[in-house]
Amino acid sequence: MAQVKSAQFKQASERAVHDPKLQHALAHVMDHFTTARASAIAADFEEESWESMRERAAAIKAHTIERLDYYLDLVDRSVRRNGGHVHFADNAQQASQMVLDIARANNVKTVIKSKSMVSEEMGINQILEKNGIEPVETDLGEYIIQLAGETPFHIIAPAMHKSRQDVSELFGRWLKTAPTEDITRLCVIARDALREKFAIADMGISGANFVVAETGTVCIVTNEGNGRMTTSAPRIHVAIAGMEKIVPAIEDLALFLRLLPRSATGQRITSYNSFISGPRNPSDEDGPEEFHLILVDNGRLNLLRDEILREALQCIRCGACLNHCPVYRNVGGHAYGWVYSGPIGAIVTPPMTGMEQAKDLPYASTLCGACRDVCPVKIDIPKLLLHLRHQAAEGDGKHGPVVGRLERAFIGRWRKAMRTRQAMESGARLARLFQGPFARGGRIRRAPLPMIGNWTKSRDLPALAKRSFVASWQERQARRAKGGEGR
Amino acid sequence: MRASLCATCLVDQFFPEVGEATVQVLEAQGVEVDVPAAQTCCGQVAFNGGFRTEAAEVARHFLDVFGDAERIVVPSGSCAAMVKVYYQELFADDPDTLDRAKAVGEKTHELTDYLVNVLGVSETGSSGEGLVTYHDSCHTLRELRLKSEPRTLIEGVQGVELQEMEASDTCCGFGGLFSVKFPAISEAIMEQKLAHIAESGAGTVVATDCGCLMHLRGAMARRGLSIKAQHIAQLLAGGEAEGA
Amino acid sequence: MPDMPAEHPNKAAFLARVREALGRTEPILHTPDHAPLKSNQTRQEEKVRTVLARVAARRSVLCERLADVAARASWNVHRAATSDRAAEVLADIADGLKARHVVRTAEDVFTRVDVDGALRREGISPAILAAGRARRRSELKPMAFRADLGIVGVAYAIAETASCAVIQRKGVARLASLAPPVLAVVVEAEQVLESLDDFFAVMRLEHQKRRSHWAPYFNFISGPSRTADIEQTLTIGVHGPGQVHLVLVG
Repeated sequence: MAQVKSAQFKQASERAVHDPKLQHALAHVMDHFTTARASAIAADFEEESWESMRERAAAIKAHTIERLDYYLDLVDRSVRRNGGHVHFADNAQQASQMVLDIARANNVKTVIKSKSMVSEEMGINQILEKNGIEPVETDLGEYIIQLAGETPFHIIAPAMHKSRQDVSELFGRWLKTAPTEDITRLCVIARDALREKFAIADMGISGANFVVAETGTVCIVTNEGNGRMTTSAPRIHVAIAGMEKIVPAIEDLALFLRLLPRSATGQRITSYNSFISGPRNPSDEDGPEEFHLILVDNGRLNLLRDEILREALQCIRCGACLNHCPVYRNVGGHAYGWVYSGPIGAIVTPPMTGMEQAKDLPYASTLCGACRDVCPVKIDIPKLLLHLRHQAAEGDGKHGPVVGRLERAFIGRWRKAMRTRQAMESGARLARLFQGPFARGGRIRRAPLPMIGNWTKSRDLPALAKRSFVASWQERQARRAKGGEGR
Repeated sequence: MRASLCATCLVDQFFPEVGEATVQVLEAQGVEVDVPAAQTCCGQVAFNGGFRTEAAEVARHFLDVFGDAERIVVPSGSCAAMVKVYYQELFADDPDTLDRAKAVGEKTHELTDYLVNVLGVSETGSSGEGLVTYHDSCHTLRELRLKSEPRTLIEGVQGVELQEMEASDTCCGFGGLFSVKFPAISEAIMEQKLAHIAESGAGTVVATDCGCLMHLRGAMARRGLSIKAQHIAQLLAGGEAEGA
Repeated sequence: MPDMPAEHPNKAAFLARVREALGRTEPILHTPDHAPLKSNQTRQEEKVRTVLARVAARRSVLCERLADVAARASWNVHRAATSDRAAEVLADIADGLKARHVVRTAEDVFTRVDVDGALRREGISPAILAAGRARRRSELKPMAFRADLGIVGVAYAIAETASCAVIQRKGVARLASLAPPVLAVVVEAEQVLESLDDFFAVMRLEHQKRRSHWAPYFNFISGPSRTADIEQTLTIGVHGPGQVHLVLVG
């Protein structure tokens, strides 16, 4: 499985915030996505009809997740009826082994890949390499980060943090091409390099945007055509899908194909949509002779088991929550430390990889709710983050709490102070004494204290008022009652 | 018309002038205001931190204090959202308290919601001057769906012109505990908000939440910016009860 | 019907764990209450009849919409009143490209649109990208990669999204519409559907009538191959055709 570095979120996010190159890329790309999305939706839909589409999509996904065992069985029977093989992998290791077994059985030397987030979970490229099989990413962004030895920065724009100069340098190093700042030229270089691979690859690995249970159809959404290439040119096609990617019926796709591209790239539809239901018929001219679908759990059961977190399995990986998240927009994808980033990454990473190492992620949100408003399947992201915070602070029944002592102590104090008015007033009196040496003109500029010191690094803190509002009010009421003196 | 004021712990301890302004605005509309003396906090700090046991204890105190009120007015979108929305999460497994929480939630109003949707007010009779820009506090906008209410009221202030900033609906980076857990990210988000406020050309930024205002004021003071950050109640009270 | 591969040994245990996570002990035995799953062939026929009647009544509007949406999605749109005119348009496209290698698929439309004749008059001899007595299947891939222009017909075109739906079968190779740098798609007015819903309803009925496995592969082509992966700058023609022509006949 891909390495989990989520425990370093705090340090990584601070580095990201102070990285001018990264900040430049984020500022540029994020606004592009949000504007494109808004205008694509406004061009075709009234607000209410978009809203009702989201509601329908959420209902269909919830329906499917609640009956996932039924639909997994239906997928299996449908794909096999079409002549495809179906594999069930409990975890990343098993899934990788399945890929290796298929490759070995067919004497595969080169594998071409179109985008698959589950394959990132598996870290399949390293595993294939170790076993003497050459994996080649074919989505341009994925190809760039493969050459750079990195993980995707953004779910739909994996190399958005790379400048044209970076790409030129990578191509120079790996493909021995002359440096250029012409983006069209860079695309031609990649096209030519990958054409060679398309011509010789024996096996294509793809992800799946949707898996249709009724028909056994894997639907792949791409713009470049690499998805079509990967699933058409080689002899063998292996599709890898998280077990939650299912929609019940082929006719459900109409709705999801309206929601996904608009939410993701702000397109009415992507350039290509491929619908693969099995190996080619013997009379067909081309296409793979063998089709495999690997359905992967890899921690998704931990989401499914929890009645509240289950909702996160509705995700169709459009990336809109990332684009609209003030935190993601400032720290980017790598800080989150695993495969999924942004608000949805903050939700799925702890249950999928373990709360202990990912405990900062549910807190890495201001709970502003912008993500929830744009989610095409209406995942209540703030609610789920709060639920995870609850598990982090109080344990989830199986695991104990993981929140630090400092916060626990702070909340303990707070609780004592807020239980009664008397406690609150005496707590405030004490705090007023303590703030004395730091407060100047009603402001505190520096407080060498844990937590509060984090505030005063970049912001003044107001000093506590001399008298609380409630106390002043009471005094005034008392005066009024006594003397009848008006306000 | 009677209303009980939940001052919120921030207003109570840090910004009493906002409490005064709120009372003034309400009384100007003929509302008979009372301020329950036993009030403390809604519990949001602990709830957002994940400490639901502690949050529930404080929230129960809130329900005890405000349970009999006719209406509850809160000069804060996030505290009102805590009571109206998140108490239902907090007490999901406690049916008796849940019923009380729902009843209290229904009669709880953020200040601008109360003025516009309960009292039917669009002008509070106050006056001010110059350009004012409005920052949509996240929970006012996205939990309570109050977007036009504060704007209507701002536009109703004589002598004031509402100048929208870019991305007025983007978070200021406060997020409660977030601001001290991840100060670098909080600051980065805030810088963008400050830039948008400055670019609007307004002399005053108004919001419905003292959390955002504490954040913005603190940041602007540190940077020597002369833009005023005001709670909407202060603007609606006629600018007499101003903060720093 | 293809042979049915065996069930994976982990399936039963996998499903049992999923069921347990959902808090159930028994499997669901009946088709769940989800309307699109429950429509039998009779009902689907009725549904599709309504779709086709609507589409027929609105044909000229839908052709306009298809042309309009396509143009905005970077298609070069050509309206041809007759099949002969369509053949000329295709020849002009090939001529404009100075194309030497042209491949096409073998769809019904080409019995009406005599593209071969029109191309030959320009001195180009198109090849049908299909295996047969004269050509082994293994030759198709290099042929497709070498071509300057691919010409294909469609099963349907969808006005809502300007999507050309191509269904793989004998005579319809996938690579014809993918490998060459320029693609021309011929659509006849009768093939235009209004929406994505129409298309999937029709596909489902076709499958129900066939009483066999699902079509192994179909795809939508809705514009030129594009990427914005470098600096969010839109670039046309990465792996698929960068120039796409839609020839709408009738």
